[in-house]
Amino acid sequence: MRILLSLLPVATLAIGIPAARAGDLDLKIVDAAGKPVSDAVVTVRPAGGVPAGPIRFPWGTTMVQENIAFAPHVLIVPVGATVRFPNHDKVRHHVYSFSKPAKFEIKLFGKDETRSYTFKSVGAVALGCNIHDQMSGFIKVVDTPFAAKSNAAGQVRIAGLAAGTAQVTIWHPQMKAKDNEQLILVSVPGSGSVVKSAAVALRAGR
Amino acid sequence: MRLPVLQRRYRRAVLRLRSALTVKMTLLYGAMFAAVMGVSLYATRSAIERYADGAIRKEMTAGSALFDRMTALQFRQLAQAGTVLASDFGFREAVGTGDAPTIGSALNSLKRRFGIDHALFVGVDGSMAGDTRQLAATEMTQLYDALDAGREQGIVRWGSHSHMVAAAPVRAPMLTGWVVFANNMRTGDLRQMARLSAADLHPRLLPVAALPAGLRATSGATTATDEVTRGGHHMLVQARPVENLVPSAPQMLVLEYSLTRAMAAYSPILTALLLFGVIGTLLAIWGAFVMSRSLARPIVALEKAARRVSSGEHAEVKVETRDEVGRLARSFNLMVNAVEARERQIAHMAFHDGLTGLANRSLLREQIALALQRGDGLALFCLDLDNFKSVNDTLGHPTGDALLCDVAARLTETCRGGFVARLGGDEFAVISADGAGHADQTGRAIVNALSRPFQVNGHRIVTGASVGIALAPQDGDDATSLLKNADLALYRAKQDGKNAHRFFEEAMDAEAQARRAMEVDLHDALRNGELELHFRPLFGLSQNRVTAFEALLRWQHPTRGMVSPIQFIPLAEETGLIIPIGEWVIHEACRVASTWPDHIRVAVNVSPVQFRSSTLNGIVLQALARSGLAPQRLELEITESLFIDNVEATLASLHSLRALGVRVALDDFGTGYSSLSYLRSFPFDKLKIDRSFIVDLLAHEGATAIIRAITTLADALGIETTAEGVENSDQLEILRAEGCGQIQGYFFSKPIPARDVSALLQKLDRDQLAA
Repeated sequence: MRILLSLLPVATLAIGIPAARAGDLDLKIVDAAGKPVSDAVVTVRPAGGVPAGPIRFPWGTTMVQENIAFAPHVLIVPVGATVRFPNHDKVRHHVYSFSKPAKFEIKLFGKDETRSYTFKSVGAVALGCNIHDQMSGFIKVVDTPFAAKSNAAGQVRIAGLAAGTAQVTIWHPQMKAKDNEQLILVSVPGSGSVVKSAAVALRAGR
Repeated sequence: MRLPVLQRRYRRAVLRLRSALTVKMTLLYGAMFAAVMGVSLYATRSAIERYADGAIRKEMTAGSALFDRMTALQFRQLAQAGTVLASDFGFREAVGTGDAPTIGSALNSLKRRFGIDHALFVGVDGSMAGDTRQLAATEMTQLYDALDAGREQGIVRWGSHSHMVAAAPVRAPMLTGWVVFANNMRTGDLRQMARLSAADLHPRLLPVAALPAGLRATSGATTATDEVTRGGHHMLVQARPVENLVPSAPQMLVLEYSLTRAMAAYSPILTALLLFGVIGTLLAIWGAFVMSRSLARPIVALEKAARRVSSGEHAEVKVETRDEVGRLARSFNLMVNAVEARERQIAHMAFHDGLTGLANRSLLREQIALALQRGDGLALFCLDLDNFKSVNDTLGHPTGDALLCDVAARLTETCRGGFVARLGGDEFAVISADGAGHADQTGRAIVNALSRPFQVNGHRIVTGASVGIALAPQDGDDATSLLKNADLALYRAKQDGKNAHRFFEEAMDAEAQARRAMEVDLHDALRNGELELHFRPLFGLSQNRVTAFEALLRWQHPTRGMVSPIQFIPLAEETGLIIPIGEWVIHEACRVASTWPDHIRVAVNVSPVQFRSSTLNGIVLQALARSGLAPQRLELEITESLFIDNVEATLASLHSLRALGVRVALDDFGTGYSSLSYLRSFPFDKLKIDRSFIVDLLAHEGATAIIRAITTLADALGIETTAEGVENSDQLEILRAEGCGQIQGYFFSKPIPARDVSALLQKLDRDQLAA
């Protein structure tokens, strides 16, 4: 909760409240039952492609272990970013990933110990702790600056898109689809914003 | 001959059986007890059946619960084994990296360690590893769908076997798949499990489609029960739901138990109950038979006794008990005795005279018949009292009855050894075994005995008796003829002056028959107009002409010819025919006289019988009215004998006749009991001097004196005189000289028919004129 609060200014800036400007995409993600889905990662490849240059996200590249949990639960990082894994708990953790984009283990580090790992491939990395089976976290490695995750209301805003048809990818760790993601095409107008709602199928809570 | 007897006997036996109280009661009680036993047996049996059915169902529920517990245990064991593998870091790494050989070897190793039949890994993307060879494609799809839908344990049918399946999810840390362990549930395992339950319920796991027909309709989610008959056994079959891995192809736990076998356990109870029922029914029948027989026996005895009584025998029943039947028996005996006593009384009344207690006519006839049957000779005495009627009339019936009783006693005393009977009224009869000589003595003894004066109710009564005797066998060979003949002899004895005995003679019979014949003829005579009146003129000496005619009855019988009044008048008096004949005479005389000149009267003789009858006055009035004859022209002639019996009554009748205006003459004056006293008592109009005095006129000197005395007496009393039977002029001259008023007789004229009267009168007038 504290983490969420600390992230709030960033999110507010990204979503751009209240007025949407031209090139903005406002998505509302709901599940099959119409309930808002949080922690869904939306990545957009606008018409004309992704502009060159380094990608930076306002929320940083730190995945904290605190209260026997990963915080944030889902972290979006640009490809090539080095993510720090500080341990704020008194217990030890054994962070591991068997995901294809990054297989690694960070073993048995203690309190306030920080290790890092550089993610060189695009994709979703599922994080676990070999000591605490219930711990679960995700790092989404992206190669586009147009990426954000949905808030508790299921809302997400991607700003500054070029007009034309944009490829919008929605990823969620429990999505019932190949690689847990689905692609939709959205037509972005030259002036004005796009407001859209997307329904996704989720697996039952696992 | 034999056959009808047998048939009758058979029919009677059947009848008796059908109506027998014993049989009815025995059958009724037997049937009732048998019915009660039958119902209780049936109720017991159905209660046991219900109980057994319930017990089996309970057992099945328990068995099913046991199955559920055991499968739950196995699921847990399988799941634990799966979890061991699924949480292994190396296995998770192998899964995460898609290291199929490592996954396979890990599964095998664990399969062996836990003794599990099948081990599989199912990826979250549908990929499978491990023992996939045994599974068909659909079974794989079903397995994945079940896991994907979140079911992690259950029973599933793979091939032809049911398997228990438990899955453990593999997380790395996201769900990457499931470790699936499965054990084949062989029938043997189920049987082993069945041994733990109280009854062998023959458990099987079957897909719904393979269930017995009666259970197939179930959805698989609820318990279905059916009863089937298989191999002579009544089976209770239940299909119970189990935890299925694939709900769309459910399996069910099928339990069955033979109700027949369950019931067999109770059959000794039912057999014993049936046995008790049969024994109880037999006992009830026996008891009812004994009881009803003891009830029916006295009734049968009563019925037999009643039958004997009705056939005239004396019968009593033994009183054995003090209950209603005993009271009935006592009353029956009382009734029998009362009936018999009354019967004796009635029989006595039928054969005895109520007044004297002597035998009556019926019994007498019976005795006569008995004696004749024995061949004994006997003498029958019929007697009657000579003056009984006057005793009754003057002293009253109570005295008459008392006299009869005394007569009876005296007769019984006199005829010891004889049989005395009262025939009715003052008639008695006696039978004795006497011969003719002895009978004469007995007859005389009876007459003598009854001639002695009787002392009755303070009256001294002298009565005689006349006795007629008939002897058997010579005077008759049956009671009727003997009685008739004795009666004829009695008649003769009375005719001969009473107070005597007479034996029957054949002539009496002939005479009686002649009388009988004449009696019959006399009946017809009146009807056939054979009777006729002749008239004898009475000549008035002072008037010198006919002053009256005396009517004389004549009977001209078609075959007998002219019958003398001396013959038939007594008969008519005896039989009472004199009443209608006398009536006719008065009517006829008045009718004829009405045709005569007014100065000529008609004289009619009135018989004592006719005089005593109450109808005489009426007849006289009627005759006068019908003929128009003046009353003083009718002269009724009566005889002195009327005064013998009852002077007072005679005088009263004479006065009432006189009141009608008719004349009364005293006939045959001077004979019999002539008494001057009644000349003083009644003012006769005329005396008719008996012919015997007239005949004597010429023979005896004194006769003239008598005639003179009579005429003088009559003149003094103002009574006319008529001389009867004047036959010659000498007599006429004497009579005329002695002052006799009228004469009649052959000298003057013989009686003439009515048609000759006017001729006679004319001739006499002519003679008179000539003289």
